[in-house]
Amino acid sequence: MNGYENLTECLMREVRDRFSVSCKPDINLVWLELTGCSGNIISLLDGSQPNFTFLITHMIRFIYNNSLMAAEGNAAMQKLKSVVATPYILAVEGAVATANDGYYNIIGQMDGKPLTALAALKMLGERAKSVIAVGACASHGGISSAFPNPAHCVGIQDVLTRKVIQLPGCPCHPDWFVGTLAYLLLYGEPELDRMNRPVMFYAHTIHDRCERRSLFDRGVFAQKLGDGGCMFKLGCRGPVTRIDCPVRKWNGRTNWPVGASTPCIGCAQFGFPDKMEPFISYDTTK
Amino acid sequence: MEHILINPLTRISGFLQIEATINNGVIEDARNSGFLFRGFEKILLNRSPFDSVYFTQRICGICSAAHSMASSLALEDALSIIPSEQGKILRDIVHGCEFLQNHIRHFYQYTVPDYVRLPEKFPLFDTVGNDFRLSPEQTEAISNHYFDSLKVGMQTHEMLAVLGGKAPHNHGIFIGGVTVRPTTDNVIHMKSLLSVIRDFVDNKMVSDMGVIANAYQDYFHLGGGCGNLLSYGCFQGYDSLGTLYLQPCIMTDGVKQPFDARNITESIDYAWYSGKDSYEPFETVSEPDMQKQKAYSWIKAPRYLGKPFEVGPLARQILCGCYENHVSAMDRIVARVYETHKIIEILTVLLDQVVPGVETQNRYELPLRAKGMGLIDTTRGALGHWMKINEGKIAFYQIITPSVWNFSTRDGQTQGPSELSLIGTPIHDTYNPVEIGRILRSFDPCVSCATHVLCPGNETKVYQVVS
Repeated sequence: MNGYENLTECLMREVRDRFSVSCKPDINLVWLELTGCSGNIISLLDGSQPNFTFLITHMIRFIYNNSLMAAEGNAAMQKLKSVVATPYILAVEGAVATANDGYYNIIGQMDGKPLTALAALKMLGERAKSVIAVGACASHGGISSAFPNPAHCVGIQDVLTRKVIQLPGCPCHPDWFVGTLAYLLLYGEPELDRMNRPVMFYAHTIHDRCERRSLFDRGVFAQKLGDGGCMFKLGCRGPVTRIDCPVRKWNGRTNWPVGASTPCIGCAQFGFPDKMEPFISYDTTK
Repeated sequence: MEHILINPLTRISGFLQIEATINNGVIEDARNSGFLFRGFEKILLNRSPFDSVYFTQRICGICSAAHSMASSLALEDALSIIPSEQGKILRDIVHGCEFLQNHIRHFYQYTVPDYVRLPEKFPLFDTVGNDFRLSPEQTEAISNHYFDSLKVGMQTHEMLAVLGGKAPHNHGIFIGGVTVRPTTDNVIHMKSLLSVIRDFVDNKMVSDMGVIANAYQDYFHLGGGCGNLLSYGCFQGYDSLGTLYLQPCIMTDGVKQPFDARNITESIDYAWYSGKDSYEPFETVSEPDMQKQKAYSWIKAPRYLGKPFEVGPLARQILCGCYENHVSAMDRIVARVYETHKIIEILTVLLDQVVPGVETQNRYELPLRAKGMGLIDTTRGALGHWMKINEGKIAFYQIITPSVWNFSTRDGQTQGPSELSLIGTPIHDTYNPVEIGRILRSFDPCVSCATHVLCPGNETKVYQVVS
């Protein structure tokens, strides 16, 4: 356990204490889904400590999300429009489709006209207190921008002039988002690396803290998926992927890809997927 | 004559626009424009065939394990690999967890807000809907269960991750079965979670569904079917257990028949694609073409023997004889809840079969040339992957998802199931047409990967759904 984990634990405790006293969060949260799979909002629902109920009850006024909001059609669009005049944090999942002036991705019909994801992002992005790119697609285009990138997808930083906090991962772990949000609400901007990723989550490579690192050091390598050895020779991207999966794990700390005896596929690293493939290779090195 | 336009239809996975024409208070015509085109079939070309298992999961964040199933099956077909009984069982356990996750979240997070006024203190639940019929006590109980379901939904994914590594986008499902060699504590971990999930489903979800179905009985007469039901089968074909759920089959006009994959075709008459009008899945992947005048959607039109077919939990429940042959919006909701219970029963049986320590993986060799088909019924219905391999790379990939069946565009003869389900629906308030969303959500549409394109030259005068 290093300092960052301890910091995160402390932070979570403080969030629980401070936010549970104040039952009236005063900042709004808008969560846009753009060109992607909507897997990050599902991942957010998988959060356990704190969970989604805590998030919307004690931390922030969750105003807008296509998957979860009760309103539909114009009523939904009016909520999006009215939030601009309020203090809000913008979370975005999915890449921005730039082909055809953004018309490859329309997220609703506003004032009688189609609202492109590109226009919605520009409308909301510059005025938000903070902007968080949630997941690989929003951070750098991800799978949505994989070659030959039919919809000309880019990460949201490419279309905004302001700073965007990047939380790459496919999907984004709920703790990375909620922890970042908690820091923003309590202390302002967290320490970011040169790629604008919060250092508290993205400081170390998977390889550095992998539970199978000693097997790598001893040269015990898996020959196939399911083997107990180090996954390096099957194409593991742990050595180049900076994220805390080995210590945080997934789904209530139940498991993680290497725990399932499979290689890390580098989903939290910039360049995923094109620069991380092949994901599985039986003949990388003999 | 009035037009209604709803965009976005929220509480679905992805984006969908609905345009409906109302005549004398009844829907006369409807067009559902959904967009599954992210170009995945194009993006997959020239990648390693093995990568398709993890890659195609990124099509959908709520039903990702489904794609890992179809992709693994297609690879097994191409590589002539027959998974062991244990491999099948372990993989189906992971897939079953996704059914529970999807159905619980679809019922509480996506469906309940249509029928129950959730606490107004949460801005997420603001609504202009005014057709809420439950008593204050019923409303409070189901609202509480909405929040309880968030924890249970999380536990379904926790259960999935035991053998799957993580969720969404698992690593465990692969050719031959799963990657994890299950231990006794894995099994007891899953059994323990399953008992908590069972308690919630049997004691809360089923009765909540009953309360809603009782208060909204008119929805048993709205959102009817196209007369045709189809399933590729799931939780079946075990050597030792036989069929736990359903073998591949179809039903037309009440008559059940065996399924034959050679009868599947897909057409693109009214979708933004150019190429051959109608083709078999292995034949061609159409090119996107946004200039096509009569097109209005990215969703193609899959057909079986030339006809549209409804797929999903209700289709399965009717086909397996567990449910009366009656198709409506409320029947879909009821069948999905019943199926949740059924999947828990199946998982209970499967977990008892697991042999601790069993290994299901090998080093796999890619053939120079091969093709494979992976058909499987998943949470939302029939999912198919068709893959060709050439010189160790993916040379062709065709995907037909369940929502493409249900939300298919029209062809020369007929409309798809979801459009047909809207036609004839009385709309009480054209400024607040809650009927449309309720009917369409009953299909559990997954229109992820929304790439919404305007149809040029197709401007219509529309009333928006106003607040």
